[in-house]
Amino acid sequence: MTAQALETRALVAGYERDLPIVRGVDLNVRAGEFVVLLGPNGAGKSTLVKAIAGLVPIHAGAVLINGEDSTFSPPHQKIRRGLAFVPQTENVFATLTIEENLRLAADILPNNVRARRIDELYAMFPDLAARPSRRAGQLSGGQRQMLAAARALIVAPSLLILDEPSAGLSPKIAAEVFARLQAINATGVTIVLVEQNVKAALAVASRAVILVEGEARHEGSAAELADDPIVAELYLGAAKAGA
Amino acid sequence: MSLQVVIDGLVAGAMIGLGAIGVTLTYSILRFANFAHGEFIAWGAYFALAVSGFLGVLAPSLATPIGPFSFGWSLPIAALGAIALTAALALLVDALLFGPLRAKGGAIIILVMASFGAALTLRNLLEFIFTSRPAYYAEGLQIALRFGGVRATPDALLCLGVAAIVVVAMRFLIAKTAIGRAMRATSENPQLAGLAGVDIRKIVRIVWILGAGLAAIAGIMVGLLVQIRPTMGLDLLLPLFAAAILGGIGSAPGALLGGLIVGLAESITVRLIGAEWRAAVAFVILVAILLLRPSGLFGRPE
Repeated sequence: MTAQALETRALVAGYERDLPIVRGVDLNVRAGEFVVLLGPNGAGKSTLVKAIAGLVPIHAGAVLINGEDSTFSPPHQKIRRGLAFVPQTENVFATLTIEENLRLAADILPNNVRARRIDELYAMFPDLAARPSRRAGQLSGGQRQMLAAARALIVAPSLLILDEPSAGLSPKIAAEVFARLQAINATGVTIVLVEQNVKAALAVASRAVILVEGEARHEGSAAELADDPIVAELYLGAAKAGA
Repeated sequence: MSLQVVIDGLVAGAMIGLGAIGVTLTYSILRFANFAHGEFIAWGAYFALAVSGFLGVLAPSLATPIGPFSFGWSLPIAALGAIALTAALALLVDALLFGPLRAKGGAIIILVMASFGAALTLRNLLEFIFTSRPAYYAEGLQIALRFGGVRATPDALLCLGVAAIVVVAMRFLIAKTAIGRAMRATSENPQLAGLAGVDIRKIVRIVWILGAGLAAIAGIMVGLLVQIRPTMGLDLLLPLFAAAILGGIGSAPGALLGGLIVGLAESITVRLIGAEWRAAVAFVILVAILLLRPSGLFGRPE
């Protein structure tokens, strides 16, 4: 039986207790899966992943990361349990250099592997290696996303969650990002992706979950959902428009 | 302007600058102006007074002045104890007051008002324990050394040296170490810092310890060169904030430079206009920097 990388049980979350945005979501992600969370604007996709990462208050339910109850753990403890989260915006430290962004994330690793991991990430993202002393605030949108991904990957997470990594990027750069995510998933890293670019997301993901009004309404293989006209009509207007 | 004015200004500025580093650190990480910081300076001075007095009674030889200085080994030893005790006091105030308010998501103005309350409580507690009579680490008069036309006491020169060493150490800590990286990251974006594996609560504790430790050093310097009074922190509050904002919030070297500028400005004002205008100088600098360059000399624009 494949292990669960991520599980939420009847999760209720939101910035205000009286006004939850996520309303009882059950989500099961098996180790090695590539799952995309889809849904219309305001469906609660970003709030759900932020709650999983510990950035949004959880009011009821549970979050399990690699089988461990992490419902109320602060973000730094979840990182040590194998989670890495890349927010949609403000996902790098603009006042720190590229090198400092990576070293900061590597500081939780044992001394003897930090330098090696940074070198491995530079090899994976050669653009970053070119000018490591450059401040992150001076990078282009695509380079920032690369740095954000490299910062998240440096601790060799087992579960990588990304919140709309293609937002604001040109189609060419966005395609590169999706290709890289697929390559990362191929190394065994479980990926949960929140994405508005439905067509591209379904092309790389193995499974999709559709959120509507804070609830998980549909799920199935990416191929099934991509071809499901009712689902497309109901929730994925962007898919049709973009098709 | 005589060189003496510059030396006097630098000595005063070093004390202000050390206190301002603590203000700027707590402001940049905890995101509120802690008006109780001046009281940590006063408590640091009194902790050192109490510990050195106790050591002097325990081993009278420790009170014998060291070389040209006015104090014996009891004071440097007491300084270490005072740094630890002031840091513990700051952690206690955070645990009892600021921490619960942060946990409730209290607005910044609530934290600021709470710091006013903490300042009043701490100041009155000092007066209750030690009375309002001025106190000194050493009773004897110290002869100033002459360097050409300039005079400075060995204690004052020592304080300048200690301030320089402390600021270099702080600069190294913030720029080159893992703790410094984590502090800078937390200052810029606490949520993202958590996602990068930084334990924010640990960073908050470190900032209190560093800020209070530096406040204790500043307090001991003021006690050594001027006198020890329960209101010494209150008197320094405006210059501290002027220096921290002038240097740019979050910048330790900026805070020291801001302190030196405020100290020099005070010294020049006393010489040219009169001592009664000293207190107004920090206020004028504070207003001017807020109007002309709110991000300060080394701060980043919001």
